[in-house]
Amino acid sequence: MTDALLLLVYILLFPGFFFLFVYALFLSYLDRKIVARMQSRVGPPFYQPFADLIKMLGKEVIDPDGVDRQVFNTIPLVALAAVMTAYLYVPVTGYSPLAFQGDLVVVLYLMAIPTFSLFLLGWLSRNIFSAIGGIRAVTQLFIYEVPFFLALLTPAIMAGTWSISEIVAWQQHNIWLVFLQPIGFIVALIGLQAKLERTPFDIPEAETEIVAGSWTELTGRRLAFMHLTTEISLVVGSALIAALFLGGPMLPWALSPLWLNGVAGFCLFLFKTLAVLLVLSSIKVATGRIRIDQLNEIGWKYIASAAMVQVGIVLVINYLRVIP
Amino acid sequence: MSVLAEMFFNLLSKPFTILYPKEKVPIPGAFRGRITISDEKCIGCSKCSLVCPAQVITMVQNEREIEFKDKTIKRKKKPQVKLFKCIRCGLCERHCPTGAIYLKNELSDSGTDREVVVT
Amino acid sequence: MPEVIVPIGPHHPALKEPVNFKVIADGEKIIRLDLDLSYSHRGIEKAAEQRDFIRVLPLLERVCGICSHSHTTVFAKGIEELMQLEIPLRAQYVRTIIAELERMHSHLLWLGVAAHEIGFNTLFMWTWRDREAVQDTLEEMSGNRVHYGMNEVGGVRRDLTPEQVNAALARLPQLEERVKKYIDMVNNQKTLLVRFRGIGKLSKEEALKYGAVGPTARASGVDYDARRDDPYLVYADIPWNVVTDTNGDVYGRTRVRIGELMESIRIVRFCLENLPEGQIRVNAPKTAPKGEILSRYEAPRGELVHFIRTNGTDKVERVDIRTPTLANWTSVAMCLVNQNLADIPVIVAAIDPCLSCTSRIAVVDNHTRRAGVITLDELRKRSRARFQRLE
Repeated sequence: MTDALLLLVYILLFPGFFFLFVYALFLSYLDRKIVARMQSRVGPPFYQPFADLIKMLGKEVIDPDGVDRQVFNTIPLVALAAVMTAYLYVPVTGYSPLAFQGDLVVVLYLMAIPTFSLFLLGWLSRNIFSAIGGIRAVTQLFIYEVPFFLALLTPAIMAGTWSISEIVAWQQHNIWLVFLQPIGFIVALIGLQAKLERTPFDIPEAETEIVAGSWTELTGRRLAFMHLTTEISLVVGSALIAALFLGGPMLPWALSPLWLNGVAGFCLFLFKTLAVLLVLSSIKVATGRIRIDQLNEIGWKYIASAAMVQVGIVLVINYLRVIP
Repeated sequence: MSVLAEMFFNLLSKPFTILYPKEKVPIPGAFRGRITISDEKCIGCSKCSLVCPAQVITMVQNEREIEFKDKTIKRKKKPQVKLFKCIRCGLCERHCPTGAIYLKNELSDSGTDREVVVT
Repeated sequence: MPEVIVPIGPHHPALKEPVNFKVIADGEKIIRLDLDLSYSHRGIEKAAEQRDFIRVLPLLERVCGICSHSHTTVFAKGIEELMQLEIPLRAQYVRTIIAELERMHSHLLWLGVAAHEIGFNTLFMWTWRDREAVQDTLEEMSGNRVHYGMNEVGGVRRDLTPEQVNAALARLPQLEERVKKYIDMVNNQKTLLVRFRGIGKLSKEEALKYGAVGPTARASGVDYDARRDDPYLVYADIPWNVVTDTNGDVYGRTRVRIGELMESIRIVRFCLENLPEGQIRVNAPKTAPKGEILSRYEAPRGELVHFIRTNGTDKVERVDIRTPTLANWTSVAMCLVNQNLADIPVIVAAIDPCLSCTSRIAVVDNHTRRAGVITLDELRKRSRARFQRLE
């Protein structure tokens, strides 16, 4: 009984959905603030993403002529549900209680659902800009998904397990995987930037070329939920990379009172996800947008080959049983 | 490389933004601001009204004795300007013989009545 | 995807002013496009016929916000030449200083806008921050950040005090440092190079054939600059260089504009340090003698031409404004074919379009209630039909 109650508290409150919302809005604020300060501007106050969410929820929902209202209402909710579910399997204060073998694969597939929703939304809005944006989103998914999956696969190969929490445990006993697989780390960061559709990969929502891509016909509640989906994807993505490469919320040694362990792990989680956010924001500030055919070229020539090289190295290391 | 160096330098320094209204930009002395008429100097020659490109200056009846170049002139009219329609070009100031109409270096502020006048 | 019409404009985030490109695209490749430029037509040339020479200058200033000084200078210069009026040397130096400061602020603005069009918002914020130094200088000298109102027929309206000269000179070294950093960024930043190189290429023959002017033509190797080839103000007497490039694409145009920025800083510094003493204006007569004149000027965007016809009264009979952007649109329409849809904002921004300058002619059809532009062939056909009716 208490087990079930504790699980409910874990899922709904902390470190579940309530903490997820708060942290997603906080990371969104930090992202905008860091970007603004790097550009010599002031940036928004800390309550800005929350205020944006409340404002968008209250705005009128405009249906373009001939668009299927039910589908348009449902797709953002499906995307939001997918990323919220993916969050539950990522370790926040220690092992996730819902962990099972293969939850890495489940998380990766759930994180791809928002891109498909953007494509569907783009295709179903009867708008040429949204159609182009949707097509670009799916094309970009094709290009970065292979190296991104490969780069997140190599920690699993080295740790010999398919569960994120057990990879974190493996790193607790050995060494952070970023030192053993630096190429994979860089490919994973680039892949995450492409998944979150941030500069230099914000091709599907290029403001100066196709107005807002798939987001053009979203208004009101739909826009609020899709925006929240993007912000939560940022949290899940950075938490995933922090768990797989940077050791996750685990100290190399165990502290004596159990609750202190949890608190220390939580602080480490915050610290590592903030570090990943700093790197992602710096990439966003330092570059401009590239074209989809240029992304095709560099994606397959450099990023995919780097990921395959990394997989090759890990297989060789495993074969030689260098790491026990 | 220079982009990265500058980004991180900016992250740690003060932003360039001026936080209006707490901080204000100093207005230079030659700024063309609010149009102002000085009642003691105007001799009612109507040059400002003729020269104004936006045609917002009308002359209204107003009698007064003015000292101008050691003579006493009895003026018959003086200008009335629509404050928010003035484009602040300064032609009236340039062509006024006495310096009675000029642009102060204050801001004209804002209002909701387009026809409000300044005399 | 089959052929679709992508409506870039009249309202579009890539455009700063309304223009209608009806782009017919196949997937991401552009097949052809139709151009409609008449959205900002305000009837300025007609309004200028009813104002005398004092009141027409503020009107002409407001043809464009960024190149406002260009329009007043070229008009005042033309009228002064018709009146055979010689303006004092100090006035010419002041006009040159304001003209080059305007060129600097326009090119810095353009650099930010071009970076924004490729999503590189950081450079946009940084260049516009440095542009504030130029705007502060202009505000101190002329009283306003745009629409300076410095010109009148016969000279300059305001003088430059020594404090203003010293303040402007004090701002120049830091600006030069920043522009050198931007040169470095443009030459080395990978995403800028990848988006700018090879885009919108115009060979020298094409640039001459389509009538491109300004930095657009100079980037293709056309060595023409109205300041050197038809000298006015003090450009014949001070040392400066024309900047050309051989690349011909958007990258070349960027390099030409940044080169012109450095040249402008040098010209402003020279003029401020060597400002001669003297009068700032002469008394101009009220009327101009009968005549016609073609007055040329190198605006920040290219060669600006005013054709002025006077008839002995105190008003012009006809002023015809051919702005540089109007001359450059054909080259844009030609070099956009077979390019990528994603390159439209970059190519359009590379000529530095100023639509308020361009919209000088619009055809309004009362019967079908449509407005737009017509091609040269249709104009010929209509004028032939009209003359045949008269016979």
